[in-house]
Amino acid sequence: MLLFRSEEWIEKWCKRNHLERGEILTINQVWELSKLWYHNRMSVDYHGRSMEQVAEIFRKAGLTSKFWYPRS
Amino acid sequence: MVDILWQVRAFVYSHFADTTRPPSVEETAAHFNIKTEEAGELYKELNNRHSFFLEPETLTIRMANPFSGIPTDFKVHVNGKTYFANCAWDMLGIPAALHSDAVIDAIFTESNESIQLEVKDGKVINYAQGGVPAEDGGSSSLLIHFPLPFTRWYDDLVFT
Repeated sequence: MLLFRSEEWIEKWCKRNHLERGEILTINQVWELSKLWYHNRMSVDYHGRSMEQVAEIFRKAGLTSKFWYPRS
Repeated sequence: MVDILWQVRAFVYSHFADTTRPPSVEETAAHFNIKTEEAGELYKELNNRHSFFLEPETLTIRMANPFSGIPTDFKVHVNGKTYFANCAWDMLGIPAALHSDAVIDAIFTESNESIQLEVKDGKVINYAQGGVPAEDGGSSSLLIHFPLPFTRWYDDLVFT
């Protein structure tokens, strides 16, 4: 996941690398996602998460498009 | 084996947080007073479980997300230590994981400009505009591109 100044730069990067555009989030959206995703990462009790838990995190972060579905 | 497996995972993360780098397999073996070969098998199992990620064909930890074992364009300064994050998401993941404020020095992809952000009191602040953040913290216009859908993130994690 890379940081860009604007959508224009994302389009340039995608074109140069012959890649389709993926999903674009604002840095504040990613901060909210980070807190949900990483808040317990240092815990000795963290052993990974299920696909259901992944889906719940994305839902809480407001990421509901097919791009974020944990199963294809 | 399961108990020590998760103890090793916790040790790797704790080592990253304390030293900003991953422990070698020898350091982990010494910490748990086990043979290096056994520590290596535990590293491989944790790699298989996506608890952290080894450099291909080695026992060197490349990523224990959000921490990177190698230098990147995303430096995260927390409590007097400087960590490298794997990506633009993980640069925010480090203060989230450590529950700390942070100063982030990052490079924009494609335009190659540098930017300094701060995570403070639960908000992301962009100081790029003359040192004065905009009303919303100045960060709302900064964008992070996720090139692949979630189902493909682990196909090639370095690219992702």
